[in-house]
Amino acid sequence: MTRLDARRAVAAVVALAVLAAAGGAGQAAPVAPRLPDIPVPKVSEGGPGIRGGTLVVSTISDPKTFNVVVAQETSSSAAVGPVFEGLVEEHGETTEVEPAMAESWSVSPDGRTWTFNLRQGIKWFDGKPFTADDVVFTFDALYDPKVINSFADVLTMGGKKIAYKKVDAHTVQFITPTPFGPFLRTIGIPIIPRHKLEAAYKAGKFMQTWGVNTPPREIVGTGPFMLTKYEPAQRLTYERNPNYWRVSKAGTRLPYLDRMVRLIVPNVETARLKFQAGETDVYGIRGREFSAFKRDAARGNYSVYEGGPGFGIEFITFNQNPRGAKPPKLGWFSNVKFRQAVAHAIDRQRLINQVHAGRAVPQYGPESPANKLFFNPNTRQYPYDPKRAEALLKETGLSRGQDGKLRDAQSNPVEFELNTSAGSSDAEATSRIIKDNLEALGMKVNFLPRDFNLLVSKLDASFDWDAIYIGLTGGVDPHNGRNVYHSTGSLHFWNPRQKQPATPWEAEMDRVFDGAASTVDQARRRQRYNRYQEIIAEQLPVIPTVQSLGQTAVRNTLGNIRYTNYGGALWNIWDIYRKR
Amino acid sequence: MVSPTPKRRQEPRPVVRGWRRSLTVLCRHRLAAAGAVIIMLLYASALFADPVAPYGPAFDDKEKFYHPPVYIRVMHEGRLQRPFVYNYVLADPGTRAYAEDRARPYPIRVLVRGDAYRYLGLIPSNLHLLGVDQPARLFLLGTDQFGRDAFTLLLFGGRISLTIGLVGEAITTVLGMLVGGIAGYYGGMLDNILMRVVELLQGFPSFYLFLFLSAIIPAGVSSGMRMMMIIAILSLIGWAGFARIIRGMVLSLREVEFVQAARALGLGDLRIIWRHVLPNTYSYIIVVISLTLPGYILGESGLSFFGLGVQDSWGNMLAKAQDLTVLTQYPWLLAPGVFILLTVLAFNTLGDGLRDALDPRAQSS
Repeated sequence: MTRLDARRAVAAVVALAVLAAAGGAGQAAPVAPRLPDIPVPKVSEGGPGIRGGTLVVSTISDPKTFNVVVAQETSSSAAVGPVFEGLVEEHGETTEVEPAMAESWSVSPDGRTWTFNLRQGIKWFDGKPFTADDVVFTFDALYDPKVINSFADVLTMGGKKIAYKKVDAHTVQFITPTPFGPFLRTIGIPIIPRHKLEAAYKAGKFMQTWGVNTPPREIVGTGPFMLTKYEPAQRLTYERNPNYWRVSKAGTRLPYLDRMVRLIVPNVETARLKFQAGETDVYGIRGREFSAFKRDAARGNYSVYEGGPGFGIEFITFNQNPRGAKPPKLGWFSNVKFRQAVAHAIDRQRLINQVHAGRAVPQYGPESPANKLFFNPNTRQYPYDPKRAEALLKETGLSRGQDGKLRDAQSNPVEFELNTSAGSSDAEATSRIIKDNLEALGMKVNFLPRDFNLLVSKLDASFDWDAIYIGLTGGVDPHNGRNVYHSTGSLHFWNPRQKQPATPWEAEMDRVFDGAASTVDQARRRQRYNRYQEIIAEQLPVIPTVQSLGQTAVRNTLGNIRYTNYGGALWNIWDIYRKR
Repeated sequence: MVSPTPKRRQEPRPVVRGWRRSLTVLCRHRLAAAGAVIIMLLYASALFADPVAPYGPAFDDKEKFYHPPVYIRVMHEGRLQRPFVYNYVLADPGTRAYAEDRARPYPIRVLVRGDAYRYLGLIPSNLHLLGVDQPARLFLLGTDQFGRDAFTLLLFGGRISLTIGLVGEAITTVLGMLVGGIAGYYGGMLDNILMRVVELLQGFPSFYLFLFLSAIIPAGVSSGMRMMMIIAILSLIGWAGFARIIRGMVLSLREVEFVQAARALGLGDLRIIWRHVLPNTYSYIIVVISLTLPGYILGESGLSFFGLGVQDSWGNMLAKAQDLTVLTQYPWLLAPGVFILLTVLAFNTLGDGLRDALDPRAQSS
């Protein structure tokens, strides 16, 4: 499943995958504490808090829709993030899959039939009970070919859907066509209310329902906060859900906060000013701001949380698509030695120093070291080595003439365009340094920042580009990256949506991804995904640069903050409270 | 009947007011004189950027990025010395704070050997006006994110920004005079059509047109070509208002006696326009040039703000400094803004002075 992230100017590959061993049952539900209307509430592990208060965060773009199923970009999905929930959820610290709207689950011995027991007593915001019908309706909608959404891609195996059925009002069963490794991590999609949306769905208007002009009270979910007001380009306001199904260890109904506000600001600089003025409570710090933020933490009454490397990937990629790239460029770009030369030519230490103020680490493979479950450290490395780069270029038939220009055998000068997202100063600075590095080898690089949406359409529709510096957000399970690394993938940037794998290594990667998806055994899946990382690091369809370290400033007046780089500062929003 | 024979063969000359008088007035106008001096200095430094800059335009020190401007000192360990700088060492990698290493002074040398260049593409040399021995660096205005010397970049950037003004203004002036002259002189239908075109151009929301046109310049063009295209785009609109005023002036001038006389003598129209009519608008034109020339520099800065300007111009350098971290921690990167401001002010004061100097009604003693 893919989401586009405007803030990081990153085409996001958000998907979910497996890690819980097959046959794992949900956690045993604690006996106490209780809530009057919910027999088995989920007991939150957070410390005690105080009821009341408002949390203010900022975001840099307006939502495009409130329809969580069809939302394709983080600006929309984050806007309804506190409103909708899934059957299961990932723990922000451990990244383990835990019960959410399902109390527990079981899996058949063949690993194909999954039975979920729904949590009883959960109510939609308008008071209607949540039942198995809502789950069935959600899957009806997302598997409907007329409903264009990203969830269906990840929940489809070899063109086949997962079968699902209501067993009784509080039990749902899923049967996968083959054993499906990433099942638990993909099944936690947000559940939507049948009673509100069925009429629109039957009328074939599902895609258009719940647009941003819908009265917010109509957007009915089960989450900790209800959307109450949307003022375009200004703010989204949320109020506490008084019937929420989580409870603190002391027996207090959660969430603690009364209200939440998402301010919509024009850019990151404004977000920073708002935080420094005390108007917002959370700010994602960029690397070069880190020291100054740390220095002023006491004065600004906030703490700086360091989360280590992120889960995403930033890279430069070359167009190898015969439908887009033309000779002679196509010839250079599809030569693996050319790409390896580029990888050796990039001065990553300089990127770390000059762009990230030291707050980054070099990255050579497609998975981040942060991904403790799947990261393979034994892939090919590309330390900065211009001499090696030059030697590799020579092997591809590119050599420098008297004038210092790099030319191919037909004496075409090696010249191409490098694009990145305009307005992201870090991406522009990185591209400039890469351009410098490549021009030192005699190439001519025309660097041109472009609008983010234009870049995305070049990558997935028009194919008329040479080289692009861009990024992807990531998740724990590499199955997330299927739409990028599988040769049929729509974000298989360098040559998307192939009918047949164009190269032997792409064919092998398809086998790795298909095989890993239908494997349930954790260790064997890890082996397969180790191989995928080796192939990418060897073939370099994307040439990773550096992995920046995450850091977030959070106001000290908030309690129960358990920041992680995976979940961020607010993953346990129900536990967070305002200190008095 | 005898009368003094007029010098028949001599064409009626345009009224040339005493240029010498004008120059005197200008020199007495202190602000204008200062403006003129500043402009000359700016153009001279751009012209001699290679030898004046301590480093070459491709120079960068990868270790010393976000380096502050160096202090030029004269006292080392309590003793007076010729001007020198200390070497700077990184004190805090997080905020890029540097500290002086006071162990050893590095005297500023005059005419030193440094980065090689071909002056104006012809004369190979490596002489630089000022320099210091390594590892110290003569970063007069600090360095940017990539460790490039801001002062060097400013001098080379001046070549671009100041040329944009000059060339753009030249195109505008020639076009404006031609169209305005023809429209005003001939009048009638031609005048009507030309003035409607002018109105059309003036009616355009010009900045959006600039944005549109500069966005469609293809990526492959060289930076020099791109600069020429940006200039062409900026002057495309600029000439319209100018032509309109020239046309008004010509309209009244064509009824003046010496023009009628020239016509009676059978001179060609274009010759009359160029030789007799337009010269009477020169004083106005000079003032307008000096007052509108900064508009090109500002226009290019505006395009740079949107990432559509010319690489390495002052506006482009300034656009890269629009970031809170830069504003609070590395304020020296705003120097291009100071230079733009200085240029605009200098041209405005000069224009003011020129207007006084060339105004025939403002009689000086």
